[in-house]
Amino acid sequence: MREDDIIICRCEDVTLGTIRDLIRKGYTTLEEIKRIARCGMGPCQGKTCTPLIAREIAAITGKDIHEIMKQNHRPPFGGVTFEEIVSGRDEE
Amino acid sequence: MRIKEHPILEFERGKKIQFTFNGNVIVAYEGETIAAALHAAGIWHYNESDVLKRPRGLFCAIGHCSSCLMTVDGVPNTRICVTDAVDGMVIRSENRGDAK
Amino acid sequence: MIHEYDTAIIGGGPAGICAAIATGKNGLKTLLIEERNFLGGQLIKQTHRFFGSEEEHAGTRGIHISDDLKTELEGMSNIDVMTSTNALGYYEDGILTALYDEKMIKIKPKSMVLATGAFERFLPFENNDLPGIFGAGAVQTLMNIYGIKPADKVLMIGSGNIGLIVSYQLIQAGVRVIGVVEAASKIGGYLVHASKLRRIGVPIMTRHTIKKAIGSDKVEGALLCELDENWQEIEGTQKQVDCDAICLAVGLTPLADILSQMGCETTFIGELGGIVPKRTADLETTKPGVYVAGDLAGIEEASAAMLEGELAGLNAVKFVTGDERVNERIHHLKEELHALRAGPVGEKIRYGLAQLFEDSVITSEKIERHKHDITQLAHTGVPTRENIDEKMPDKQRMTKPYAVIECFQEIPCNPCVISCPFDAIFIPKEDINQSPVVDFEKCTGCMSCISGCPGLAIFVEQHNPEQGKGTVSIPFEMLNRPQKGDVVDLLARDGHPLGTGTVTRVLYGQKQDKTAVITVETDIELVNKVRNIQLQGTDKKGVM
Repeated sequence: MREDDIIICRCEDVTLGTIRDLIRKGYTTLEEIKRIARCGMGPCQGKTCTPLIAREIAAITGKDIHEIMKQNHRPPFGGVTFEEIVSGRDEE
Repeated sequence: MRIKEHPILEFERGKKIQFTFNGNVIVAYEGETIAAALHAAGIWHYNESDVLKRPRGLFCAIGHCSSCLMTVDGVPNTRICVTDAVDGMVIRSENRGDAK
Repeated sequence: MIHEYDTAIIGGGPAGICAAIATGKNGLKTLLIEERNFLGGQLIKQTHRFFGSEEEHAGTRGIHISDDLKTELEGMSNIDVMTSTNALGYYEDGILTALYDEKMIKIKPKSMVLATGAFERFLPFENNDLPGIFGAGAVQTLMNIYGIKPADKVLMIGSGNIGLIVSYQLIQAGVRVIGVVEAASKIGGYLVHASKLRRIGVPIMTRHTIKKAIGSDKVEGALLCELDENWQEIEGTQKQVDCDAICLAVGLTPLADILSQMGCETTFIGELGGIVPKRTADLETTKPGVYVAGDLAGIEEASAAMLEGELAGLNAVKFVTGDERVNERIHHLKEELHALRAGPVGEKIRYGLAQLFEDSVITSEKIERHKHDITQLAHTGVPTRENIDEKMPDKQRMTKPYAVIECFQEIPCNPCVISCPFDAIFIPKEDINQSPVVDFEKCTGCMSCISGCPGLAIFVEQHNPEQGKGTVSIPFEMLNRPQKGDVVDLLARDGHPLGTGTVTRVLYGQKQDKTAVITVETDIELVNKVRNIQLQGTDKKGVM
């Protein structure tokens, strides 16, 4: 299996090989992996990659998937332009 | 390819319109998303991925996965799978790396 | 300006619409927010008839349910609908922001129903990002909303209901489905959906997986392999198949980002699809006045989503107005949900819910009460001789027309009972999960039940022993519909050819609603074997 041809994060082009390397190096939380590899920071905001990465962390470290999946969500959900924010204020 | 005959569904297509994709004229019908019109025209390969330069195309078609982002009438990062095609639109595929 | 509402509902799919109808009917000033430019969510892609009971619109195609619900919604002046609107975030002062009409607007709701639905899972395999690999929802959107043929030859990954239903819909759209690949040892979705595919000739490969997508700038094929009991590849079982698209139907995950940002507590329950909100049996989250419904509350069928939507909506009514009159209906909805989940196919959801509320009436108890041994059927999608024989009348009765209901798995569904004008079909103990039984004394072979069965699992047969002939009537909803007098190819339950027969009758009227009932005459020994027909030269078979 060529881990470098298996894409985990489509937005930021992160492969299974990279994810497994990071976990083996000791980066075993979603937050750490996100900050190093950028997965989850692209336009989809981690929708596709998060469950896959959590599964890898669980498989390698034996950690409980419930614990791994705990993470923060911050607004805004979806892109907003400055113009759209300003137009909203004009309405007030 | 557009489905002409279907055993259950009937498709009412809107007015015929056209837009350009990377300079090529694409025919669409009002009410179709840009992605739907590109798919009907046989365009599956949208761009090369940011880092690894792998070919990418439509994936989720509901605006969640980010694979279909394009520059539409000058607006970058537009999700073409949830953006309706409008007559005269100018659409360019983008590699996000280009902006860096 | 702050837009004030009694309730704000996020998500305009089946759950959200039903919630809005419930709050609207009870006089709440309601806002329904939907990110797409149309309402209906996944319903508008569903060409099949729904399972369940009448209350959940069973026997009606999803597309029509969606139209009916939208009509009901439009009639209410106290509901504002904002489509093409993204909910952006929720803040401590109770303000919800949304992007509407190119403006970021502020909304202050007294209560909320979150019905954001789910998104599709992705699968790790080599070249899993190649153009031509689509989520099942994308394929459905292209073909059923926009009328665009998604591909020519599709490989389906996943045999849950979505994988099975989308495969069937692909064939209806004129696409060849080369096979359905399933990693588990059993077919995941309803077995009647699997049987529909098998009789067209589509192989379903359990204990198989995709290793690699082949192609340079788009999909040209796939590499498959067999799996052992530990989900590991069995050496030497690799097999290459040709296809121009790979469709992923490997499950859904609740879309819980805004919910969790709002501060509603979540928990991880694999059986419900992953991170789900903690909530009561009344669908209230840990934030008072904030309710959830549909796939966000746990991945389930759309029939459950509609019931949950109404339940969440009514609880929001109670929260805002204190009106106790909704209690009776709330109680009824909970009973309906309980009934839907009570059978063997509801086991996963029951198990998931039991983890959510320990003191609930819902148990994770395993229900092993199949009358029929469906082990083989669950592996192949084809019932055994023993299965079928249990549904047959005695030999003498066969000279007059009779219905054979090839529905062996206990699923919550009863349109056949309602469709019968002679009360000849009943469900034992009036338990919607039991498989239906025909009273051959009452059955006249009138064929009313054939088109109404969501699983297309009912056939009407008649034997004419003197001439050594017989007839079989089959539901048909593909293109190239045979006409009376046509000589057609006959296919068995597993899609194998059985020779030819002549069409003697075609029912295709308002009552059939596009599911034609086609009667063919053939040799007597084939009558109980023929389960599909096709015009000669219109083969739709898979090719693996």
